[in-house]
Amino acid sequence: MNTIIKTCVATALVGWSLAAGAAEPIKIGVTGPFTGGSAPMGVSMRDGVKLAVADINAKGGVLGRQLQLVERDDEAKNERGVQVAQELINKEKVVGTVGFINTGVALASQRFYQEAKIPVMNNVATGSIVTKQFVGPENKDNYVFRNAANDTIQSAMIVDEAVVRQKHTKVAILADSTNYGQLGREDLERTLAARGIKPVAVEKYNLKDVDMTAQLLKAKQGGAEVVLTYGIGPELAQIANGMEKLNWKVPIIGSWTLSMGNFIDNAGKNGDGARMPQTFIQDATTAKRKAFIEAYQKAYKIDRMPSAVSAAQGYDSVYLLAAAIKQAGSTDGVKVREALENLNGTVEGVVTTYTKPYSHDDHEAIKPNMVVIGEVKNGRVVLAK
Amino acid sequence: MEILLQLVFSGIALGMIYAVIAFGYQLTFATSGTLNFGQGEALMLGALVGLSLVGNIHGGPYLNYWLMIPLVIVFGALQGAVVEWIGVRPALKIKSEFGWIMSTIALAIIFKNVAENIWGKDDLTFPSPLPSTPFQVFGANVQPMQVVVVLGALAMMLAVEFFNRKSIYGKAVVATSNDRDAAGLMGINTSMVITFSYALSSATAAFAGVLVAPLTLTGATMGAALGLKAFAVAIIGGLTSGMGAVVGGLILGIAETLTGFYISTGYKEVPGLVLLLLVLAIKPAGLFGKTAIKKV
Repeated sequence: MNTIIKTCVATALVGWSLAAGAAEPIKIGVTGPFTGGSAPMGVSMRDGVKLAVADINAKGGVLGRQLQLVERDDEAKNERGVQVAQELINKEKVVGTVGFINTGVALASQRFYQEAKIPVMNNVATGSIVTKQFVGPENKDNYVFRNAANDTIQSAMIVDEAVVRQKHTKVAILADSTNYGQLGREDLERTLAARGIKPVAVEKYNLKDVDMTAQLLKAKQGGAEVVLTYGIGPELAQIANGMEKLNWKVPIIGSWTLSMGNFIDNAGKNGDGARMPQTFIQDATTAKRKAFIEAYQKAYKIDRMPSAVSAAQGYDSVYLLAAAIKQAGSTDGVKVREALENLNGTVEGVVTTYTKPYSHDDHEAIKPNMVVIGEVKNGRVVLAK
Repeated sequence: MEILLQLVFSGIALGMIYAVIAFGYQLTFATSGTLNFGQGEALMLGALVGLSLVGNIHGGPYLNYWLMIPLVIVFGALQGAVVEWIGVRPALKIKSEFGWIMSTIALAIIFKNVAENIWGKDDLTFPSPLPSTPFQVFGANVQPMQVVVVLGALAMMLAVEFFNRKSIYGKAVVATSNDRDAAGLMGINTSMVITFSYALSSATAAFAGVLVAPLTLTGATMGAALGLKAFAVAIIGGLTSGMGAVVGGLILGIAETLTGFYISTGYKEVPGLVLLLLVLAIKPAGLFGKTAIKKV
């Protein structure tokens, strides 16, 4: 009798704890700027992430557990990003984090994930060194992953478009003074130098600058036939509008941020024709993309995504992370990293279908052949012809 | 030569924006010895209220650009009066030397947050009332709206100066700024005059806001940088001289564009601030300011 009761109680306890364990959600951090000039990217990314989590949860979650998002606004500020990282790791005990829109914030905050051995998935930040911050002999393993087109890929495409396809030889570079702009500028200069081209002007500007006359005049005086840009929406719009002020019209080719809604809206007709590398264009070319775009439009009651690239990459980053957790059969950071580096099967995302996206030494999911050139046309981004 | 001219033209347009805001600082300093550190936010609010009237963001456009201007000026005046009433008057009453600094900064932050919640945190475009195609002046390009900014700013400042010199109410303002206690003894309602000067200074800032908005982007954060630059202009020109605001604004605006082109765009803002330090070191009252004797 006694034994039977004991067994019953024990079984009940075990069952209960198992049930409790099953109900315990898997926490995933989301960090990005949801306010300020980078907000269109941050908000779109977060909205994409939420869609993916809703999809996965509707299908029963991962390992029988629901995914739970912990969202934090890093305000595109490095110091705020560091705070958010520590909070997500130490207080919220996240299993992994997706996000980082701003290269500077990523570089400042990633070390905490590296030290805590928790994978972090850069789904927008593009600085070439982001995934290389913790490689080499000092670090055995790297916990920084990315599914965005890095600046090495982008600068090559920008230069290719300007120099090879449009056959310009005199180029000017305008980049903002943030980490993003300056690292991108270095990539552009290096890529141009490889083709034996020295830019006629290399200028920088600060965020919130309202007058671009000096920078644009220098480019114009140098005889630039094309302006290459590295910056974010509002100031890029000032460049396009500044060109109109000077009555000077040359093509603008720049990093993917030229697809941001706040560039397209604020530059208006001056922004038409601007070209940029894109991993995703809001265009229903595949069934998966069609479903994603429709779900996004329905969920957020919006016709044009403020930053379609961020939304798509945000969406995919959750699927990649979920696939790794499933394969690892655990939420342990080390095991999830190992799973990410050896993903079996394919992960169907909206940017592409990922087959073995990462390896131990390559943490870049997006390869050059997945990126296309987009063009601003009538307030939309379309595939450049 | 064309280049120099182009840079100077852009510098003038930029400098006049600074000048109007700096002029607003002077208006309140003259009557009450206090400054509204929310001048930049007054400009931002003016621009955003104007945008709601002429843009298509809140179901508009409701009004033509030119008809919107008087409404925005009235709004600016009310906003300035509120700042004086909540932030400055209590500090003056208890003869606090510096209370108004914190309270005007606090109000500025509150206004910014309110604006972020009403108009969002993104930068918005302000529809331009004039064609944005530039025309040529001696080979340099000038946009019609840039001319409007310069003329509008000058007209506004002249109107205020004219009012102060010619009308009886203006004389009350001048009397108060010369000696508040004596003016009070002569039967002038000095606290009314101070409220009025705050209303006037925010009204000029709001007006400047709708003038510059078609040239720049409009958003809740547009005020901070402009307000700070204008403060430097007010110090360079002298806090007691309307002329100083104009000259100081032009100096800073032109210095910025010239440095950006001839030295480096990375150092664009340095000469203006070096000038500010020099002025403070050599002629603390500003280039056109009268030296005030302060009893300690």
